[in-house]
Amino acid sequence: MRPFFQLLKKIIQTGIGKSRLLMATAGLGIAMVLLLIAIQAHTNFNQLLYGRQNQNESADFLVVNKKITNAMMGQSDKSMFTAEELQTIKQQSFVEAAGYITSSQFKVTAAAPGELQFYTDMFFESVPDSFIDVKNEEWKWQEGDGVIPIILPNDFLNLYNFGFALSQDLPQVSQETVKNLPVKITVSRGLLSSQFTGHIVGFSDRISSFLVPAAFMDWANNRYGNGKAAAPSRIVIKTSDPANPALVKFLDDHGYTTNQDKIKYSKTKLIVQTIVSVIGFFGIVLLLFALLVFSMFIQLIIASCKKEIQLLVMLGTAPAQLRRYLLRQFVPLYVVTGIVAVLLVAVLQWVAARALAAHEMVVSPWPGIGMWIAAVVVLLLVYFVNNRTIRKYLD
Amino acid sequence: MQIQLSHLIPLPLRDKLLQRTSDIWNKDVTFSPGSFIKIKAPSGTGKTTLVHYLYHIRYDYSGKIIVNGKPWQDYNKSALATIRQQQVSIIFQDLRLFDQLTAWENIELKRVMGPAPACTGEQVQEMAARLQVTHVLQQSARTLSYGERQRIAIIRALVQPFQWLLMDEPFSHLDEENTRRAAALIAETCKAQQAGFVLTDLDNDVHFNYDVQYQL
Repeated sequence: MRPFFQLLKKIIQTGIGKSRLLMATAGLGIAMVLLLIAIQAHTNFNQLLYGRQNQNESADFLVVNKKITNAMMGQSDKSMFTAEELQTIKQQSFVEAAGYITSSQFKVTAAAPGELQFYTDMFFESVPDSFIDVKNEEWKWQEGDGVIPIILPNDFLNLYNFGFALSQDLPQVSQETVKNLPVKITVSRGLLSSQFTGHIVGFSDRISSFLVPAAFMDWANNRYGNGKAAAPSRIVIKTSDPANPALVKFLDDHGYTTNQDKIKYSKTKLIVQTIVSVIGFFGIVLLLFALLVFSMFIQLIIASCKKEIQLLVMLGTAPAQLRRYLLRQFVPLYVVTGIVAVLLVAVLQWVAARALAAHEMVVSPWPGIGMWIAAVVVLLLVYFVNNRTIRKYLD
Repeated sequence: MQIQLSHLIPLPLRDKLLQRTSDIWNKDVTFSPGSFIKIKAPSGTGKTTLVHYLYHIRYDYSGKIIVNGKPWQDYNKSALATIRQQQVSIIFQDLRLFDQLTAWENIELKRVMGPAPACTGEQVQEMAARLQVTHVLQQSARTLSYGERQRIAIIRALVQPFQWLLMDEPFSHLDEENTRRAAALIAETCKAQQAGFVLTDLDNDVHFNYDVQYQL
């Protein structure tokens, strides 16, 4: 086949319109670099955003409530979530699970044992057990138990240790000490009251509240509550991506609010996504033009050698042979272009990884799998389009 | 490989041909493998047209040409290419060499086009020597005389494997001596390949021992 192709080279001149071919190749190269950079930037950003925070869990939890405005002060029912609203939230694609936070409808007081002169009014809340992050075997309650397991917010202990205790000359306490401290809990409504021993079983970063098991809450609300099932005013949702702009938009649209810290990446993400999309868009447009010029170039070659091609076919050259010969003129060109583009992006990625490392941000020094797939897909696309063009104009 | 003609008539010449008798047009004719066939044809009776029909590069006829039991129209492009590379070779009346190639390259093109060449480069040199065109092999086909081009076209047709060789006035520009040499080479090669040929010409001749002679 080789000597035959060498003879074909003398008959079918591909040198014609070399500058056009050069332009098409350059366009293809730039298009590929832009596309690959867009994809790689996306990969890097995701890696930065989710790589280290939430190392062990793929999901995050947000506590959502309605914004309290001056207009609704004093009307607590306006901050309640109805069953339909919960249903709407559950139906959003970015919400994996959602549940009410049930608050207590009874009075609670807590007193520290022994010489710690400590007495306070307080409240309890409960969430479905699947939302609890400090799970252990002590996290259960059934009627008749005198001990209630309680989860405290981490912030609460910090406030006490670094704010209250220091200013009041009280001792700072460790988490372990708190866990061993039996707290006297009195639950009451009117004259009716019960006493329990509160046992701190853990601290949570997730939900800023005093949590008790749902079973206890149901029982106590039943017994000491006002009998009306009050609609809850806070909802906990589980989501895989708290920075999802769609989630943030949903919350805004409905006048809900949540821990702003957790969704602060959302804006950055939106900006980066926009920039990446614009780069990717230009890459695709450029790629289309490169394909167009390639096709026109092939058309030009075939048209300018029409007589020669006819005679070749007349002498017995198979269409497949001509196709293969023509493809062989182009395929090495864009495979090399592809390799150069990939190498360029790989070098950029390596430099970027080093530059980011200086700021203690870790991204992989190697291009991600998405970029490799994109490079292969683009090359296959170019091959496919060229093959089709050759087939179309040869016949 | 058998070639059958069945009531073949060129559409442009239809009225003219139906008024005269012919051994080929509008008849059932079978060319059996390996036979040397001469078709004598006065000018204007469709000699070149017939060769082009047999090679399937013209299609404006009624009737059928059946090759190996199938009409030409049933062969697709790549099957046709395979046949032209391995079973049917041709010497065009207007030769049809590539001007941009040398004489040698024109021959080589046909020799290496198919999967298995019928002869080696040395054998091509021998053929060129026999036809006395060795000295022009490296020249561009454009610069050759018509007689030289005709001999190059003959060699080109012989370097591929074939079962049928179609020739359209193959010696029109050769002197007697060269015609004799070329005919001897063609006959030898056909015998070696166990191939037949169809030769069309204006007059009677004794270049070959023809098995069958037709009047077009």
